[in-house]
Amino acid sequence: MSIERFLNNDLIKLNLLCKDRDHFFEFMFNEAFDKGLVDKQFLSKIKERESIFPTGLKLNEFSVAIPHTDPQYVKEQFIAVVTLEKPIKFSLMDDASQETDVCLVFMLGLNQPHQQIEILKQLMAIIQNPSNIKNLLSAESCEEVRNIFKQMEAKA
Amino acid sequence: MKKTVLVACGAGIATSTVVCNRVENLLKENNVNAEVIQCKISEVKSRQADADLIISTTILPTTYDIPSIIATAYITGIGMEALDKKILDALK
Repeated sequence: MSIERFLNNDLIKLNLLCKDRDHFFEFMFNEAFDKGLVDKQFLSKIKERESIFPTGLKLNEFSVAIPHTDPQYVKEQFIAVVTLEKPIKFSLMDDASQETDVCLVFMLGLNQPHQQIEILKQLMAIIQNPSNIKNLLSAESCEEVRNIFKQMEAKA
Repeated sequence: MKKTVLVACGAGIATSTVVCNRVENLLKENNVNAEVIQCKISEVKSRQADADLIISTTILPTTYDIPSIIATAYITGIGMEALDKKILDALK
């Protein structure tokens, strides 16, 4: 199973300009809802979850976030990849009292996460390699993003 | 004596599956006799009496009677060896 298959060109956004986290979630929800990938409740649930269990991750050079919500609000699985024109603040996964400037977001729409450990491991491997993060941040097309994910699969 | 480790997720949080797998391998490789149980963070309170250690990918909403370790390092890849050691030490 390839992680690249979870990508959907409609949910790859490059240099997206969002004024804050709520704006980001609203924008991405509308895209996913229009394509029939998520339930109506997805928006309020993902926001709520992010406020209780934040998903910001501080890496060496950049910060990323992996927002997600309970499986029942996801109709069709996806991994949205978004690079941000201007960083947005997310609280840290291991310390909600601290915020970090996130410039890359992987929004996860998984409805059987426990059956997808290989996919998640590949995603972690992408996050853990600084050159992948740099390449994603400088990507200018969906194709480039897909290629980075494809390479991961070849290595896994 | 066999130890019990709870790997907690927020609410079916995807990342804890990966952490659970990593912890299982870590303990096996180091011959630690332990059972790794994946559960929701809300269940930890009621299950801690039978466990020795809590490993969580998210912030802990409350304090517990047994030691707890936050395992975000397994997701970011930063400080993974130190985290391995911390977990092994906690189970000694």
